Amino acid sequence: MIAHVAEAGEGRGRVVLHLTQAATSPIAIQAAVRVAQAFQSEIESLFVEDATLLDIAALPFACEISLSGRHRREISPEVVARQMRAAAAAIGRQLSELARQAEVPVHVTVVRNDPVAALVEACATRGPWNVVALGEPLSTATAERLDEMLTLVTGTTGLIVVGPMAKRVGGRVVAVVEEIGHFDVVLRTARRLHGGDENSRLVLLLVSESEEEAQIMDDQARLAIGDDETVEIMRARIAPSEPAMAAELLRRLSAGFIVGRFGGLLIPRRGDLRSLCSVLECPMFLMR
Amino acid sequence: MFFKRSQPDAAKLQSDGTTPVAGHAPLPVAELRHTVDPASLGFVSTSELQPISGLIGQERALKAIQFGATMRANDFNIFVLGPPASGKSTAVKQYLTNKAREESPPADWVYVNNFEDPNRPRAIRLPTGRAKPLAKAIISVIDELRSTIPATFEGEDYQARRRSIEEEFRSGQEQAFEALNKRAMEQNIAIVRTPTGFVMAPTHEGKIVKPEVFSTLPEAMRKEVETRIEALQKELETILERMPKSDKVRRQRVSDLNTEVATVVVREALDDVAAMFAGEAEVQSYLEAAGHDLVRNVGLFLVQSGEESEIVKQPADTARDPRFRRYLVNVMVGNGDSPEEGAPLHEELNPTYGNVVGRVEHIAQMGALVTDFLLIKPGALHRANGGYLLVDARKLLLSPFAWEALKRTLKAREIRIEQPSEVSGLISTQSLDPEPIPLDIKVVLFGDRELYYLLAMHDPDFAGLFKVQADFDDSISRSAENHLAYAQIISSIIREHGLRHADAAAVARLIEEGSRLADDREKLSIQIGHLADVVREADYWAGTAGSAEITREAVVRAVEEHAQRSDRLRDRAQEAISREIVLVDTTGAKVGQINGLSVLQLGSFAFGRPSRITARARMGAGRVTDIEREVNLGGPLHSKGVMILWGYLAGFYAQDVPLALAATLVFEQSYGGVDGDSASSAELYALLSALSEVPINQSFAVTGSVNQSGEVQAIGGVNEKIEGFFDICRARGLTGGQGVLIPKSNVQHLMLREDVVAAARDGQFAIHAVEHINQGIEILTGVMAGDRGTDGNFPPGSVNRMVEEKLRAFAERARAFGARSGGGSGGNGDRTS
Repeated sequence: MIAHVAEAGEGRGRVVLHLTQAATSPIAIQAAVRVAQAFQSEIESLFVEDATLLDIAALPFACEISLSGRHRREISPEVVARQMRAAAAAIGRQLSELARQAEVPVHVTVVRNDPVAALVEACATRGPWNVVALGEPLSTATAERLDEMLTLVTGTTGLIVVGPMAKRVGGRVVAVVEEIGHFDVVLRTARRLHGGDENSRLVLLLVSESEEEAQIMDDQARLAIGDDETVEIMRARIAPSEPAMAAELLRRLSAGFIVGRFGGLLIPRRGDLRSLCSVLECPMFLMR
Repeated sequence: MFFKRSQPDAAKLQSDGTTPVAGHAPLPVAELRHTVDPASLGFVSTSELQPISGLIGQERALKAIQFGATMRANDFNIFVLGPPASGKSTAVKQYLTNKAREESPPADWVYVNNFEDPNRPRAIRLPTGRAKPLAKAIISVIDELRSTIPATFEGEDYQARRRSIEEEFRSGQEQAFEALNKRAMEQNIAIVRTPTGFVMAPTHEGKIVKPEVFSTLPEAMRKEVETRIEALQKELETILERMPKSDKVRRQRVSDLNTEVATVVVREALDDVAAMFAGEAEVQSYLEAAGHDLVRNVGLFLVQSGEESEIVKQPADTARDPRFRRYLVNVMVGNGDSPEEGAPLHEELNPTYGNVVGRVEHIAQMGALVTDFLLIKPGALHRANGGYLLVDARKLLLSPFAWEALKRTLKAREIRIEQPSEVSGLISTQSLDPEPIPLDIKVVLFGDRELYYLLAMHDPDFAGLFKVQADFDDSISRSAENHLAYAQIISSIIREHGLRHADAAAVARLIEEGSRLADDREKLSIQIGHLADVVREADYWAGTAGSAEITREAVVRAVEEHAQRSDRLRDRAQEAISREIVLVDTTGAKVGQINGLSVLQLGSFAFGRPSRITARARMGAGRVTDIEREVNLGGPLHSKGVMILWGYLAGFYAQDVPLALAATLVFEQSYGGVDGDSASSAELYALLSALSEVPINQSFAVTGSVNQSGEVQAIGGVNEKIEGFFDICRARGLTGGQGVLIPKSNVQHLMLREDVVAAARDGQFAIHAVEHINQGIEILTGVMAGDRGTDGNFPPGSVNRMVEEKLRAFAERARAFGARSGGGSGGNGDRTS
């Protein structure tokens, strides 16, 4: 969607901010707003009240263990529903304030469903040019489900994810290109996010396994960029089985936003994302 | 008797029964003004003269200053007393400047943060000239750390170690959680996150078992599920509870890592400073404490201040970055900027409490006043420590708390900065208690004599702390040597102000003006400020006259113009007399009436004014009534003078009879206060005239006090008094018979205006110097005063004879009156008022 919007020069698209009862990262919300602002799109805040949770709460022995593990209490569907409504309202207020400042339209939707199913449905209804921003920070468990999510949610062109260490959405935009065929769409998306900010540079990170491949991409990239001084080209060689190296590379760039494709050297489709989760300080826009 | 007089001759008795007396000679013209011959000065123009400081004829004061400045004791401070604008301050400064230059500059002092107790900043003594380098070195250290610390903590080495710690703990938690999750799944139990915690539920084929299905399960199965869930919940609780503890360990390990890394960086940065100040134990101690604090607060260097420029990538000035204030050095005293620098000599022109002792300033932040050691500001005592502090005593005393603070500091021999509000206990607010700085100083106070004696009388600490009194004279003697020195001072003034040079005649006239200012023809005033004013004005008038040098005429013009600008009230007073609004006779003769003379001082201008004094006498109880005193217009000195009259009358005329006199004395048309005894001779003349009924010549005015023996004594303002009467007479037309009687002892003070001298030279006006009342009464009445003869009687026709007869007559009448009324002798009362 947004890549398409960027390519087609369309004025609008949609960011679906996926929220559940799990903890939501404020950086994820800010990232959703930044993307929506950059692409002049709107945000649909999709808060999913997990129906399964309400079923659990109806079990006769159901009780909740607090996050600290020091308290245990009996719960009921009513209590859980009230908690979820309160959580949705709190996040809604936070989002509305940020969106108001950024002059981004927001639609708030609260549904009771399975979280992934709700997302599939929402993106299918107004697709296919959606991008999904995940409110829950990446953990090892959730990172493993990214591939599944992109498979099930067909009405999206990418995911915006943040890690538990996320602390900023401002600053330089890093566009990660691993294949020359993706160069144009990734760079266009990154440029929209960069917005021509004179105080920060747009870094085009060319990632490859070999020096030869890197040189070819470099030549092509320089040809395409021309004399655009806002873009800085960097090259990196990463071995396919070195997720820690990729993670360290991203950390040292001190990016404010990373744009890349899901399923490459940097973010392998079924790789170990623990290193990335532990260092990622900014949102990452993973294009399909 | 006091002077020779011809014996009375009965044949010379006039028709009115009085004995005439030969005229007394007035003072020669040469006595009226001590002029200076320009040729005697030995130069043509002041351009030939070497300028001098102005400290002439002040050997006593100079010796006192030399002693006080050399005596290195905290209580031998100097009080320089003398008239204002006498050049004493300039002279003292000049002397002390030279002396200070020969002495070594004192140590430097800085205040630094006390990391253990920030409210009590540390004072550190440094060798001369080392304070500013220390301050700069510390800023360099911080600048360096602002680069090296972020670089080190961003570096691969630190990040790898940090990640290792984080990962170790995170994976430990996650592994525990994942293991539990796995065990739960093996038992067909799901762990699900809620907004505020975790819940567990049975699953079947990966799906949560719905409540309605669960309720259909056999009781035993339900129980078993519940038992499994209970066990898993306990495990989950254990894992969750362990998380804070393990997080604490993680934080501690990260903190240890930070300390280890920061210590290396900080030590490297501080090593250079430590080497620069290797011999300074206090600096080393401070650097040690600062190093610990830097390591402890290394996070300060890892956050953006918000002031750093994104464009030039230049960090904001360290000295202005609030994060690093605690490490900066506050230079209180930094000496040794110049190789010729000696001991400090500081003059505090505005000696408020804060300016003297120093102060702790505050900054308003969020509605509260906050402060730190960098807001400690030095005072004059800090700047002059190890040298000399010059302060005007009056200004110091007028500044609240300043005098007490100075005394307290001198006594304690240390500068302790306290807020005045704390000293007075008025306001209790958070402030600092900086460590005191030892004090070694010589304080020089400037003030007038009145102030000095007031302090000596009323402040018990004063004499103990200011033991050296440098007393500057108001004037110096006139001599050829001092004339030349005076001319050199004039030359200095001219050079200092860039004026035209003065010719010898102008200098001579200025010397004469100096004498006039001193009110003494044998003295020269050393009010250098006033002299400088006259010279500068004379320069102006010389300029308007197109003269290349200051001439005598220009000086005369300057003096006259100055007087004219100030003499509006004198004009009004003379006009009132000329228009006979104020009655003063300058011709004719009247019984019991005389012209007295008084001086009015208005700022820097004084003028004389004649006043009519009248006396009336009748039989009474020995009382001379001073009407001024009766209506509270007479001061104590005036009343004293009037009482002396009674003593003179009683002793001179009524040794064997009661003084049955009731007399009244009054300053006519005087509506203000009268004080001083300079009119007492005039009052006595009026009283003698009233008793003898011999008229007084109104062409004369009289000044001088009198004692009980009839001797006429010196008074002040003699020149202004003579000139005041002269101006009235001249306005009405000089007759040649007019003049003024002055005490003979005042002749040495005569420095009359040139126009008065000219009139005297032409015989138009006369100044008579008298020693005794008898001499004066003869001049005033033209009648012989008369000495008591061998028979005990005054000669017939003499004033004294007539006075005595009148007093005897009063006594007789009083006795007769007393006998008739049965009241005893009646008139022998010795009372007076």
